[in-house]
Amino acid sequence: MFEVRNEECEYAFLNDKTHQDKNRYGKSIQLVDEKDPLAGKSLNINGDAAVGDNPNRYKQHGFHFTADNCIGCHACEAACSEKNDNPAHIAFRSVGYVEGGTYPAFKRLNISMACNHCDDPVCLKGCPTRAYTKFAEYGAVLQDPDICFGCGYCTWVCPYNAPQLDPVKGQVSKCNMCVDRLEVGLKPACVSACLGNALNFGVIENMPENRQQVDALIPGFPRTDITHPNIRFQQTRSLPAEMTRTDNAAVKYHKDKKDGHYKPVVDKSKRVNQRSWSLDKLRSREDPLVLFTLISQGVIGAFIMLYLGSLLDIESMVNAVQSSAYLPMLFIMLAMESFALFISTMHLGKPHRFYRAFNNLKYSPVSREVAGIAVFFNSLLAHTFFSLFDHELAQIAAIAFAYAAILTGPIALYFMHKIYRIQARPYWNHFQVLTAFYGNMLTMGALLTGLVFVPVFLYQGMPVIDLLNIISVSIFAGLAIESYGHYCHAKYLQRNDSEGAASFYEQVTTFGKTYATRNILLAINIVAVVLLYLASSDSVISLAVWGLLFVSILISALVSRALFYVLVVPTTMPGAFFWKNKGFEQHARETGLANMPQVGVIPDAH
Amino acid sequence: MLFGRNKKNPIKIADKGIVEWKYTTCGYCSTGCSIEVGLNAEGKAISSRGAAGADVNRGKLCVKGIFEHELFTTEGRGTEPLYREKYIDEYKPVSWDTALDTMAEKIKAVQEKYGRDSFAIISTGQILTEEFYTLGKLTRGAIGTNNYDGNTTLCMASAVSGYKRSFGSDGPPGCYEDFEDTDCLIAFGSNLPEQHPIIYWRLKEAMEKRKFPLIVVDPRVTMLAQFADMHLPITPGTDLVLLNSLAHVILDEGLADDDYINAHTNGFEEFKALVKEYDPVSASKICGIDEDTIRNVARLYAKAGKAMSIWTMGINQSTHGSDGVVAINNLNLITGNIGKPGGTSLSITGQCNAMGTREWSSCSGLPGYRYLENPEDRKEIAGFWGIDEEFFPKKRGLFQTDIFPAIETGQIKGLWLVASNPMSSLPNSERIRKTLEKLDFFVVQDAYSDVESAQYAHMYLPAAIWAEKDGCFTNTERRVNRITNIQQPYANSKPDLWIFNQLAKRFDHYKTMSFPDTAEEVFEEMKTLSKGKDRTLDISGMSYQMIEKQRGIQWPCREGDETGAQRLYTDGKFQTKDGTANLIALPFIDNNERPDNEFPFWLNTGRVVEHFHTRTRTGKMGNCNKYSPTPYMEMNPDAAADLGIEHQAYVRVVSKRSDAVVMVQLTQRIPYNMVFIPFHFHDCANRLTLGLLDPYSRQPAFKQNAVRIEKIDQKEAAQRNLESRSF
Repeated sequence: MFEVRNEECEYAFLNDKTHQDKNRYGKSIQLVDEKDPLAGKSLNINGDAAVGDNPNRYKQHGFHFTADNCIGCHACEAACSEKNDNPAHIAFRSVGYVEGGTYPAFKRLNISMACNHCDDPVCLKGCPTRAYTKFAEYGAVLQDPDICFGCGYCTWVCPYNAPQLDPVKGQVSKCNMCVDRLEVGLKPACVSACLGNALNFGVIENMPENRQQVDALIPGFPRTDITHPNIRFQQTRSLPAEMTRTDNAAVKYHKDKKDGHYKPVVDKSKRVNQRSWSLDKLRSREDPLVLFTLISQGVIGAFIMLYLGSLLDIESMVNAVQSSAYLPMLFIMLAMESFALFISTMHLGKPHRFYRAFNNLKYSPVSREVAGIAVFFNSLLAHTFFSLFDHELAQIAAIAFAYAAILTGPIALYFMHKIYRIQARPYWNHFQVLTAFYGNMLTMGALLTGLVFVPVFLYQGMPVIDLLNIISVSIFAGLAIESYGHYCHAKYLQRNDSEGAASFYEQVTTFGKTYATRNILLAINIVAVVLLYLASSDSVISLAVWGLLFVSILISALVSRALFYVLVVPTTMPGAFFWKNKGFEQHARETGLANMPQVGVIPDAH
Repeated sequence: MLFGRNKKNPIKIADKGIVEWKYTTCGYCSTGCSIEVGLNAEGKAISSRGAAGADVNRGKLCVKGIFEHELFTTEGRGTEPLYREKYIDEYKPVSWDTALDTMAEKIKAVQEKYGRDSFAIISTGQILTEEFYTLGKLTRGAIGTNNYDGNTTLCMASAVSGYKRSFGSDGPPGCYEDFEDTDCLIAFGSNLPEQHPIIYWRLKEAMEKRKFPLIVVDPRVTMLAQFADMHLPITPGTDLVLLNSLAHVILDEGLADDDYINAHTNGFEEFKALVKEYDPVSASKICGIDEDTIRNVARLYAKAGKAMSIWTMGINQSTHGSDGVVAINNLNLITGNIGKPGGTSLSITGQCNAMGTREWSSCSGLPGYRYLENPEDRKEIAGFWGIDEEFFPKKRGLFQTDIFPAIETGQIKGLWLVASNPMSSLPNSERIRKTLEKLDFFVVQDAYSDVESAQYAHMYLPAAIWAEKDGCFTNTERRVNRITNIQQPYANSKPDLWIFNQLAKRFDHYKTMSFPDTAEEVFEEMKTLSKGKDRTLDISGMSYQMIEKQRGIQWPCREGDETGAQRLYTDGKFQTKDGTANLIALPFIDNNERPDNEFPFWLNTGRVVEHFHTRTRTGKMGNCNKYSPTPYMEMNPDAAADLGIEHQAYVRVVSKRSDAVVMVQLTQRIPYNMVFIPFHFHDCANRLTLGLLDPYSRQPAFKQNAVRIEKIDQKEAAQRNLESRSF
């Protein structure tokens, strides 16, 4: 048990005398009753079998933050990092701020934020390894770094930036509510350290002593319906209608006249209001995922096109499947998908724990995607294997596995798209992800098929016009679906009043020229593929145009997918000028400031 | 488990394996927080926490204190004494004996050739009181130079000077508990949440129990200004005008405490005549605070019954710093707010032991608030130390800020710097650079060998730091507290006390003097010197054991007292000849460097909570440094828009001294015609500052300078900034 020292001060002790039955989301605050099988168990903290005697052990607890009082002194962050022995680049709790007004009628609102131990923890549901548990004790949502394999998906889904991905250790860790202190009746370390009398802690919905408000919203804090967070606020000081962020996110907060709440809007002052290329900024930590998604979609698309095409008696496809190039094509696809799986696995913080990806099929789209891709890949592998033999049974097996691959490929892509349907990332949370992924399946699949079989057919003296025509149809369909998605996405983003609008603003300014080029390429590609279809020619010129088209499609797909990853603006908490400012982190990496470990920014791994 | 895994692993929470907590006092600012440092089984310091039973901080610590245990293992610590003939040579490690022999030899050589006072000694507010006393004894009694001062001239000199002018003696008369009694508080140029977060917390606790008006005078909209009931965004450098005008209203409207004035002050008539000139209408035009507000504040303060003023560098670091302090004292004297609970003039001090050096270092005279100018004091101390009283000069020598110009022009040829970093902390760094190049012999004694000033030194002595040593600090409220020896000195570094004692052996007077080896013996010697019925600085009732038990004791604590006294001057008797406080007439002369067409912005400098002074410590601790790892400048967005300057871009700031490169943070926290740069960073803010000196305290005006702002190539700026940082 945590040792309560002699003379411990009164402010450090929990003091909830009563509690309400239900929280504001209608959920019972008493999580289990004392007779429940879950009750009376040890939390087993560091192997200690003792059971805490906190009388409110089975009630949902949460932080209460009096934003009126926070002075931004970092004592809470420091106490947290000291207790949890965190290095400079990791913080379970961070203080950022928003500010507004004109000198001297100026207001800064500091916000100290850690994990909100939500009623509906999206981190827990999203985690493919099941590293998260929501405990009956205090309602704490705890994460076990020993289970985590460092995919970082929880850091995507959490609207509050609570889980911290450590690129050095390759794993996530987060606020543990100081359950060791709670067990002996002490408030968490951050609360006990607060010097502004801003941070408090207790049974959720309880009003701390000397406070007058228990609200769930303050400017800069994301909407609560995503996760039902267990944090409450007091913010009674009048604030200007517009509160800006000092970090580089192109987001500010505007007071809604009707309900008085602050809503995120685009802050156009943060960017030079003109279109740029920013090609250097297209690269990101998610580069492996750019390739993984595109290759997987292409391989699935190509296999479906070939095999389903032959089943549907499309002549060129039948010829392709029956040609001597079919087996080599299967090996190419297996090799490509193996490469895709390899880089996506190496993208994990702890690749050797890859097998844990299947642990959360019940909730996590990541688990389901990985399972889908795995079934597809193994079906393809088995199909290839059995295609090597002439025996009748082998042929039946080959056919059966081909069906399995055709079926599971699109299912895998559906779950792949579900990964990105995250409420905390409005830019992604749109059906455009699905149209892009399925569109790419058709486009890249046709591209891959064409790249292999057009030369083969030409070499073998077989007619290629039919093959080219079926490829044009597939590419046209793919590009059309993708473009329709982009069109709707752009309209959705412009209407969006959240961080999605900020993403759109980045899209048309920072990446304005790149984005426009992508759109023009898409249009050119569509027109070109229609013209090529109408021409139905296998002349050298048209084959050369086909070659150019392939390059153009590839560029547009790569740029498109890279933009997809770099443009997302999460609904995270406002940062400070240096700390938790993505702009400064990038600057520190570019200039070499990050090479000093005390700067708190981990340099790019080279 | 509600949902998640069915089979739970044990919960892992970091366990540092602390087996013992050791008591000490924080070594950063002067708040004087009691710290417990946690040691693991190997005896390594691995954790810090506020001592729960200590009255000052009641279990709390600020961001710096929470990571103070990391000090013992910070980068850049000195390991061996280093020596070189010329500063352009490479340093070579030498033994302590060789180093100290050479040092004594060189000091004597300089003194022989150019006179005793041509060797200067500049100390600090960082080392222990016993060390200050010993250094004073060594300097005044054995080496015999009169050019000896502390770097406290940069932070507290104006408060010292102001207290002496008003009350006849130094020593803040109030305490933190006054927050719990006061009915009105004015903070002049003091940003507690950033500079003294624990004192802010004490204030906040008091205000939550019992609300009273808080008035903040500050040109920036600091967090304290935002939380204030009234914020007075004053024009830089004009506090004296505001204070004179407040006094004008109080006297004019008959709100003064006449009984107190008659009984306990002198000089009233002259004072009254002077403040008559400062009517709110005229004053408002100078200080930028409207006349209604001036009247309102004056009435509020005078009618409160118990009212107190606190101030920090906003007052002290000004050409009217000393006058500003006296004016605050005037305000409290005419309203009868001295020496009573909730009524006081409380200077919020800077360094952890700024008070210790004021009390015992002999920098401004002789130990225990004695004066060189006073023959009895000279006689007493000479007798006590065992030297001829004629060895003492009859008047104090140069202040720290006058020593550097004397080096520049060749009157001073040798310098010994103890725990101070003028290369970063003094105004006009380029001038200091040029100055330090000129020394014949320059010793830097510091815990860090990478301290910027060491680049011009001939000798570097590695000193032990903080709780690698043993002794006492005195805090802002005159509380003497214990620093206990928690870790052994790093590598071959030595406690400053040991270094002073070993050097003393190499001077002739050592034969007749005594230099005790342990801090406690030194403390006993100081106790003897502190005895005296009229002496406020009386520590004779204290012992190390008592101090630790009570987690600090305030002086005066006379022999036989069980504890110290919270306040000074409770009986209205002051340390002046006639026992009454001096009301002093203070005419305002506007000698500030002001913005003009060529340099259109005020440059204001100050500090941030995560850093201490020149970052030799906090700049190496990621969990402090990360909040501001590189210099930045607050600038008004409207002014930036007019100049086409973007948020988070680098700019070049130019003053009449030199230039600096900083990253811009746009914020409405400061006015259109002002920028603010934290002074902590090497080769930055202080390349720009003028630092005009206060006529009484010789403290530089760091906060009133004029600059212009220019755009700069971003890549070059980033490169230049990076090259200026070794940490």
